[in-house]
Amino acid sequence: MHIMEGFLPWQWCFVWWLVALPFLIMGILELRAMMRKDREYLPLLGVCGAFIFILSALKLPSVTGSCSHPTGTGLSTMCFGVFITSIVGAIVLLFQALLLAHGGLSTMGANMVSMAIGGPVAGYAVYRLLKDTKVNIYVTVFLVTAVADLVTYVITSFELALAYPAQTGGILASFEAFFAIFAITQVPLAIVEGCVLALVFKYIVTLKPEILIKLNVFSEDQIARARQQDSEVLSSEGRS
Amino acid sequence: MIGKYKLELITGIVLIAFIAIFLYVSAGGSHEFRGSDDAGSQKIAELTGHPVESFTPLIPQYVPPSGEIESTLFALQASFGGLVLGLVFGYWLGQRKTSSAT
Repeated sequence: MHIMEGFLPWQWCFVWWLVALPFLIMGILELRAMMRKDREYLPLLGVCGAFIFILSALKLPSVTGSCSHPTGTGLSTMCFGVFITSIVGAIVLLFQALLLAHGGLSTMGANMVSMAIGGPVAGYAVYRLLKDTKVNIYVTVFLVTAVADLVTYVITSFELALAYPAQTGGILASFEAFFAIFAITQVPLAIVEGCVLALVFKYIVTLKPEILIKLNVFSEDQIARARQQDSEVLSSEGRS
Repeated sequence: MIGKYKLELITGIVLIAFIAIFLYVSAGGSHEFRGSDDAGSQKIAELTGHPVESFTPLIPQYVPPSGEIESTLFALQASFGGLVLGLVFGYWLGQRKTSSAT
């Protein structure tokens, strides 16, 4: 989903940076408030950030015969919200822009809007929609992650379509062209990412349920019910 | 027995299916598996009518001199994530063991 340095006219670079900045500022404020209040959350933030680091470094082959990488932002979005996630995503994008020539400083605004902000916002919407329903929490995690991943690529297609409307058909036609490149490739990757992060979430529920309850990611009841399903795992662990 | 490992099982099946699809697609032979980012850049060149090389960085940037260096840096990024992940899960596991011992 990286838009390469130089491939976006400066006007659009400016626009997307402008869109991204408020999120970054809110993220820094929220992060500072959280650090001051309770450092107990830091390990969980580490896990969420670690997944963004790992998954966005993995370029996986897809059905379309090209490679792309998952984003891993879903977990962080559920636990810490959109603003803090945007900071973590921005750190990854900065690393890739400075050292890997994947994206660049001028296009980083646009890349942040797709990966660190847009995807998480969509994921957060799914999360809020499903949070207090009877839907199994792992299914929720799967959907949030997969949606955050997919929407990231849809937004990239949209950003490019806006900057480069096709001569015939305009923005819509070029959106379709970019959508075919980015979003279709991403569908299988989003499914894999959703499964893997749901599994990780299961291990967090097993090891550190109290932190999820304290952050109110899911209610105590939901966590308790999920733990009951996995309780055989716990007892067998205890025996070994 | 299957109940408690349901999620692991599903993830395993999805991973196997993913690999199978990859093998099937790559056996076709006509795909180079290049990055979708580059495909995107090429599409831009196509739409604007300017060759890819004519897009120069607005802000000068460091470009890894070879694919080897690039993969090193990507591995570095992933291993940093893996390090933090192992550290935290190990820390939590240790916490749980000690608290259940007392």
